[in-house]
Amino acid sequence: MVLAEQETGSAVAAAALIAEDIHKSFGDLEVLKGVSLTAREGDVIAMLGSSGSGKSTFLRCLNLLERPNAGRIIVAGEELRLKPAKHGGGLEAEDREQIRRIRARLAMVFQSFNLWSHMTVLQNVIEAPIHVLKRPKAEAIAYAGEILQKVGLYDRRDYYPAHLSGGQQQRVAIARALAMDPAVLLFDEPTSALDPELVGEVLRVIRRLAEEGRTMIVVTHEMGFAREVSCETVFLHEGRVEEQGPPEQVFTNPRSARFRQFLEGNLK
Amino acid sequence: MEGFDKLIEYLPSLLEGALVTLEVAFASLAIAIVLGLITASVKLSRSRAGRFVAEVYTTVVRGVPELVLMLLIFFGGQIQVNNIGAYFEWDYIDVDAFTAGVLTIGFIYGAYLGETFRGAFLAVPVGLLEAGYAYGMSGLQVFFRILVPQMMRHALPGLGNNWLVLMKTTALVSVIGLHDLVLKAGQAGGTTRLPFIFYLFVAFAFLVFTTISIWGLKWLEKRYSVGVRRA
Repeated sequence: MVLAEQETGSAVAAAALIAEDIHKSFGDLEVLKGVSLTAREGDVIAMLGSSGSGKSTFLRCLNLLERPNAGRIIVAGEELRLKPAKHGGGLEAEDREQIRRIRARLAMVFQSFNLWSHMTVLQNVIEAPIHVLKRPKAEAIAYAGEILQKVGLYDRRDYYPAHLSGGQQQRVAIARALAMDPAVLLFDEPTSALDPELVGEVLRVIRRLAEEGRTMIVVTHEMGFAREVSCETVFLHEGRVEEQGPPEQVFTNPRSARFRQFLEGNLK
Repeated sequence: MEGFDKLIEYLPSLLEGALVTLEVAFASLAIAIVLGLITASVKLSRSRAGRFVAEVYTTVVRGVPELVLMLLIFFGGQIQVNNIGAYFEWDYIDVDAFTAGVLTIGFIYGAYLGETFRGAFLAVPVGLLEAGYAYGMSGLQVFFRILVPQMMRHALPGLGNNWLVLMKTTALVSVIGLHDLVLKAGQAGGTTRLPFIFYLFVAFAFLVFTTISIWGLKWLEKRYSVGVRRA
């Protein structure tokens, strides 16, 4: 709250999300060794890293799908209150109401879409607005219609996810996220499960959201996309931020040798 | 044919009994489903004490004959309820055969359904539940709006089997004196000295119930497979 008030008057864009010194271990394996990140409003942050670098785990710590072992998370000026989990294994939310409210502000798009297969496209999109945000049904349906137009799937609103292509399913998942009017969109490798020819349609939608000024954190393997769309690129390596900065800087003039190696591996 | 005339004569009484049988079956099913969902959830939970209790429950129920459990609950329950009642100075409570029967059958099939539901819960991709949590749903919302509709498709074959066996188990309530179809038929068969005719009617009635159930289950399976593409 205090943070939000401080930022209001200033010309600097308010921080939509601050993650401070996030640590996470799975048993003896330390996956995150203190990762910090700030997303101001309108920022598009691309997170790169080889598999096992901890980038997905970091994203999942932000909405507490994974329990971090240490760290602070502040969403739109509200700090998430954490306490040691009852059964061990990290921190959990102190206040269930608060974590639900914060999760609703951080809509996540998953690698494997995770659409609810027993619901139609439209039902998927209106589910959380109605049952979490308590929007009236008619209003939720009207808004879902607008969003589905935007991702180009309005005419498929009564289909079940199983009858759509992977690219279409991921666009529905993005529509489901947008329907929450989130403060920050979290993308967890949104194109990694797609056939190569379907990647483009999903990236186009994400790019358009970036142009609209949405705040997004995108964990991705798509170098070109990170380079062209992000305003900040973060490279994680073995649980630490190894390289960070505007893409024009990090891609043309990387300071870290590891990031250079990573780029070369990807520029075959 | 004399037997047929007698059957017609006793038909109202038999239908009354059939209604009781159906009431027992549906009431038991409701209890069994609730107990089954709770048992399955507890077995998959992190609570070690909870898992232990659930394990004892399913082991005992699946290991003791149903008739024995029913007699234990009918006679033992009667004594226990009034022991407790005496302590709180309640009036004498009569555990009627209907309550005892329904509780017993619900209790027994709760254990079987617990196993059915546990398997079905595990068949639901974790990502679908995570998506629910990630959008701010509560544990109960995820349970009833995502997990249960998703797992039903996997649970229905087992649930259907258990329902058929449960329905046939209701015949046991006649032993504790509930006027169900079996008891009514037994009485009529004794009075008219035509037991074969009347028990044949009972067999036929159960066959009708189970056949209708099988149709119903097919319909449900179709309903819960909506959105699933057959490979």
